[in-house]
Amino acid sequence: MPFIESSAKKVFEKLDIKMTNMENASCCPDPTGFPAVDQTAWLTLGARNLSLVENKKDDIISLCSGCVETLKMVNHTLGEDPAKMEEVNNNLAKIDKKLNGKVVVKHAGQLLYENLDVLKSKIVKSLKGLKVAVHYGCHFLSPSEIIQWDNPFEPTTVDEIVRALGAESLDYDSRLQCCGNPLLKTDKDLAYDLLYKKLSDMKNAGINCITVVCPSCFLQFDYQQRAVNKKYGTEFKFPVLYLTELVALALGFNDKELGLKFHGIKPKKMLQELNIISNE
Amino acid sequence: MTLTIDYDFRKQIRSYNASLDYCFQCSTCTGICPVAQLTNGDFNPRKLIEASLLGLKDMLIEEPKVWYCLTCQKCVELCPQKVELTEIFDVIKNYCVKEGKIPEAFNSQAISVLETGVALPFSDPIMKRRRQLGLEDYKTVDPKEIKTLLKSIGFDKLLRFDTPTTDKKEGGK
Ligand code: SF4
Ligand code: SF4
Repeated sequence: MPFIESSAKKVFEKLDIKMTNMENASCCPDPTGFPAVDQTAWLTLGARNLSLVENKKDDIISLCSGCVETLKMVNHTLGEDPAKMEEVNNNLAKIDKKLNGKVVVKHAGQLLYENLDVLKSKIVKSLKGLKVAVHYGCHFLSPSEIIQWDNPFEPTTVDEIVRALGAESLDYDSRLQCCGNPLLKTDKDLAYDLLYKKLSDMKNAGINCITVVCPSCFLQFDYQQRAVNKKYGTEFKFPVLYLTELVALALGFNDKELGLKFHGIKPKKMLQELNIISNE
Repeated sequence: MTLTIDYDFRKQIRSYNASLDYCFQCSTCTGICPVAQLTNGDFNPRKLIEASLLGLKDMLIEEPKVWYCLTCQKCVELCPQKVELTEIFDVIKNYCVKEGKIPEAFNSQAISVLETGVALPFSDPIMKRRRQLGLEDYKTVDPKEIKTLLKSIGFDKLLRFDTPTTDKKEGGK
C-alpha cells in the first residue's frame, strides 16, 4: 500500500527524521502465518533482515506491527538462546551473512510518539470534527514483555497522538479486540464476525472514522467492511486512515498528495465536509 | 475416536518450549480468547494445552483446531503461569505441517516467500502507484538468495506444490 508509505515519508521528512529504504530485505516474515509453517525458517529470515542493518548501525523503523513483532521476537529469542543463535548463523553462513547482536527495532507509531512535541509545533490544520476509533491491534502491544511499549490492556499512545492533532478519540467496547484478519486464512465467516462486533461497537460509540497502525488491520477494516455488510445486511462505511495519513493531514498535506483515493472507502467527502481539506 | 497418548510428542513440545509444564488449567486463557467466545468454546486454548500436556498427538494433529488461533497474544498476556501458548501452538502447527497437513492459505503464502522472498510480491501496478506518489523505486531481496537459504534448511520439503496456489490476495492495492 504505497499510500501508507508515502504519508509516512512526508511526515518524517517534516519532522526532520531521516529515513532510507532498507534494501534487499525479504518479508519480515509475518509472525502469524510463517512460524506456523516452520519456526526455524522464520527466525532465520528474520535474522537475515536484522543482519542487513547491523553493520550500518541504523535502527529499523517499520509501519507494520507484524514486522515489528517478528523482528523484536527474533532479537529476543536469539539473544536469550545462544544455541539457537548458532543454529541460525549456521543457516545464514550459506548465504554469507551473520548476525552478531541486537538491532533496535521500532514501530513508526512509537517514533511519532517520541517526537510528539516537535509534531505538535508543526501542525497547521486541526483535525477538529474527526471522531476517531483507534484500533491498536494486537502486535503493536503484545507480547508486552518483548514489545516493551504501551500498556497492552490500557494503551494510550495512539490516542494521545490523535488528540494532539485536534481530533477526538472515542472509547468503544471491543477496543482491544483483534481485527480478525488472521482468521481469513482459516474461516472467513469467523473473521467477519469479529469485525462485525468491532464495527458495531465503533458505530455505537458515534465515530466517523477509524485509525490503525498496521497495514494488515488497514486491509481488514478498509476492504472487509463490504463483506461484513453483505453478511449482516449492515451499511458500515467508515473511512480508515493509517496513523501517518492522519498526521499528514494535520501537517497540511491534501488527499491528492496522499493518494487517499486509492483507499477502498474514500475519505475525501468526509474530510471536505469537516473542512480538513479544501473543496476542489 | 480412541485417544493415544504419545509421551514422545509431549517431550518434543517441551524441548521447544518448557513453559508448557507450568499450566495449572485455570482457563484464564480461554476466558479472554476472542475465538473461544465466537465459537462457544469449540476453539479452546486451555484444552489445547491440556492435550499437549497429555501428549494427545493424534487429536491435535488430526483435528487441527490450533490453526484458528489469531496469535493475538491476549492469553499470553494474562496467563498467570507465563505459559507461552502461541509459541506452543506454533510447535504443534509445525508438526501438522511435517505430516502434510498444512492449510492451503498458509501453504500458498509460504510458497510465495520461498519463490520471491516476500508474501505479496511488488506487482507492476504497485510500482506504478509508488511512482505516482513520489516514492523512489525499491529494491527487494534477490529471490535466489532466499530460495537458496530456505532450501538449505529443507523449507521447500514442507510445502505442497501439488495444490493450485492462489497468489492473488486482497493485498493487491
Ligand atoms: S491461563 Fe495459563 S495456566 Fe491457565 S489454563 Fe491457560 S495456559 Fe494454563
Ligand atoms: S492468541 Fe490465540 S489462543 Fe490466545 S487469546 Fe488470541 S486467539 Fe485465543
